[in-house]
Amino acid sequence: MPDDFAPDPSPAESPDARPRRAFLARLAGVLAVVPVLSRHLSGPRHVRAAHSSSSSASQPNGTLLAALGAAVLPAELGAEGTQQAVADFQRWMDGYRPGAEANHGYGTGTIQRLPADPRPRWRTQLAALDADARRAHGLSFPALTLANRQAVVRAALTAERGESLPTAASARHIAVAMLAHFYDSTTATDLCYEARIGRQQCRPLAAAAQQPVPLTRRGS
Amino acid sequence: MTPLVRQGRPEVIESDVCIIGSGITAAMIAEKLIEERQVRIVVVEAGDETVPLTDRASHRARFIGYGENPWGKDHIDGMTAEGIQSRSMQVGGLAMHWGGVTPRFSPEDFRVRSTYGVGDDWPVSYEEFEPFYQEAELRIGVAGEQGPAEMDPRAKPFPMPPLPLTYNLELLKRWTTDCEIAMWSQPSSKNSIPYGGRPVCCRNDTCSICPVGAKYSPDFTWNKLRATKQVRLVPRTLVRRLVVEDRSNRIVRAEAVRRDRGGPSGVPVHFRARTFVIAAGYAWSPHLLLLSRSSRFPNGVANRSGMVGKYMTGHRNVFAFVKLPVKLYPGINEQHSLVTKQFMRRGNTDRYLRHDLRVWESSVGQRPRLRGDDGSLLLGDDVLADWRRRTTAGTARVRAYYDVLPDRESALTLNTAATNAYGDPQPKLTFRDSPESAALRGYSEETIKALFQRMAKVGNGEIIRSGVDDFQDHPGGGCRMGTDPATSVVDGFGRTHDHENLFVVGAPTSVTGGCANGTLTFLAVGLRQATAIGREFPARRPS
Repeated sequence: MPDDFAPDPSPAESPDARPRRAFLARLAGVLAVVPVLSRHLSGPRHVRAAHSSSSSASQPNGTLLAALGAAVLPAELGAEGTQQAVADFQRWMDGYRPGAEANHGYGTGTIQRLPADPRPRWRTQLAALDADARRAHGLSFPALTLANRQAVVRAALTAERGESLPTAASARHIAVAMLAHFYDSTTATDLCYEARIGRQQCRPLAAAAQQPVPLTRRGS
Repeated sequence: MTPLVRQGRPEVIESDVCIIGSGITAAMIAEKLIEERQVRIVVVEAGDETVPLTDRASHRARFIGYGENPWGKDHIDGMTAEGIQSRSMQVGGLAMHWGGVTPRFSPEDFRVRSTYGVGDDWPVSYEEFEPFYQEAELRIGVAGEQGPAEMDPRAKPFPMPPLPLTYNLELLKRWTTDCEIAMWSQPSSKNSIPYGGRPVCCRNDTCSICPVGAKYSPDFTWNKLRATKQVRLVPRTLVRRLVVEDRSNRIVRAEAVRRDRGGPSGVPVHFRARTFVIAAGYAWSPHLLLLSRSSRFPNGVANRSGMVGKYMTGHRNVFAFVKLPVKLYPGINEQHSLVTKQFMRRGNTDRYLRHDLRVWESSVGQRPRLRGDDGSLLLGDDVLADWRRRTTAGTARVRAYYDVLPDRESALTLNTAATNAYGDPQPKLTFRDSPESAALRGYSEETIKALFQRMAKVGNGEIIRSGVDDFQDHPGGGCRMGTDPATSVVDGFGRTHDHENLFVVGAPTSVTGGCANGTLTFLAVGLRQATAIGREFPARRPS
């Protein structure tokens, strides 16, 4: 086993404090994020230039993606945090390079490549969620309540096996990919531990000896 | 495969010293020779230029985000060893993506035969290596903490203060103290203060690609030497064989091919030098000697004893993840660890077992998951709630490298079934324990696992996973050093017994693999060998 692990994939995001919200407030925020995020995702692409390597034609529908994010990500993120997490996932998809040479394992000369482009499959799955919603509830996926949206996602994931989250690139379903992408992030780690750890970010060496400071809560 | 070799008059490049390979040992030796001697040095590297420091942050981002290889073109198609061999063919070699961990071997590592009656002694003692350990630490920059003197002898302080123990490691150190194990900050070639014109480590936690240059890598040395035109480094040029002078045993040239010229067949080039230094690591160094077969030397050069490729060394590890009732925050600095040399001396038993021990923070067993304990799918708040519930306790990663004594037939051979684009057979590596070491394997691994069990019990914890990595880490050997030309390839200074102007340096000359990361020892060995190489040339006048 090498000393230096290949780290889990995670985007380098600043661990902003995220407020806890009451259920209704969270629900309101979740619903509010959908149109905002939809506009965000369809906006100018130059902001995503660093990650861009593919055509937008292969991208999943932004409105549906935002609705999925609100369904599978923790409500504790709030509207802004959910919007950010979905936008990060969108950027990650934009930057994906199918077949790129993967980091090689320790002690082997075997060359491995990143999986084939998952986005066409994910786009189809996202559209299927919408179709399932219309069939079961007579409403589009984004128009469903959070509980009904989660029920549609659960039904779509009945074939998912295994306890662990895969890497985002190897996820078979877009809902799992979004979960995997978010939970590998610095933001997610800080949220879990409710502390500013700042995993994989550049931080002062001397501060390593200190207990990470708690996340500050909005309004506290 | 049809060999792609172009015929014609080759280009000739001359120097005083021709170093084959541009890894960390080559960089140290070149730097030392340039500082101390009047000498023209040419370095030949089979691989491409490495990724410059200015590009590493963006490469790291793609490594983290997508799992892409951050080191660009770090291999040559068709140049692959069978057996453990990390891809490392570029300027700087394997140490471009090393972990920067720099323990010394213990004095006992060099005298296991005379002390314990097993294996073989090195022809050089720890005391003789000590000044070269110190020199290596100064050249690359090592941040370290002095361990208890009886376990961790050293003549001078580390060049830099230790990397601070993290909040997590401080808590884990209390645990190991309760276990009556003395542990301290792992020495590392990562800057705890600005050093060598490079900044302080900022805990990016991806030491395999350090985006700020706080971890030493050989390109820093090469950049300096090349910028001042003190060394000519020729990349993308594969040395295929060494040629011996007809009427003597001296090496007269290294025959190579420039891979980046002349299409797929490349362009031949000859390197002529007074002294040749093979610094191509544990795989490609013996490989080149074996490839250099001729009617006069049918077993390759430097191989009158038949020992080239024999006694490949390394150490195996036993590991465990221990769940402890202590709140840790994984991610503060997952790369840094505690270390002890407490077990590098044999205990109160007749059976030979020596090992190191290291402890890290870990998130194993505590990653977010898709399904709960009852198998139900987790979505939304449930994933986070489940994750939080499982992170109220902490996880420690513990690992012990134990000394494996090599068999003579722990060997690198030529695999004629696999050839590169030029028709050269590729290396095949087969590691094998000596009979005495093989007989001790079960005992060694069970004893270490029992130690982990005891540690878990002391900490009111439990082992959630343990195992043995069934390969030999930090490989070396294949051009073993020794005083007897019948049982070794080079002397204690790396000079081949068969060819007075041919040296092999660093890892391949190791006698045993010890029980700690090997790089610093390979450098100490190499720097000592550089003193013999340098004696052939006039001293540099003080400026």
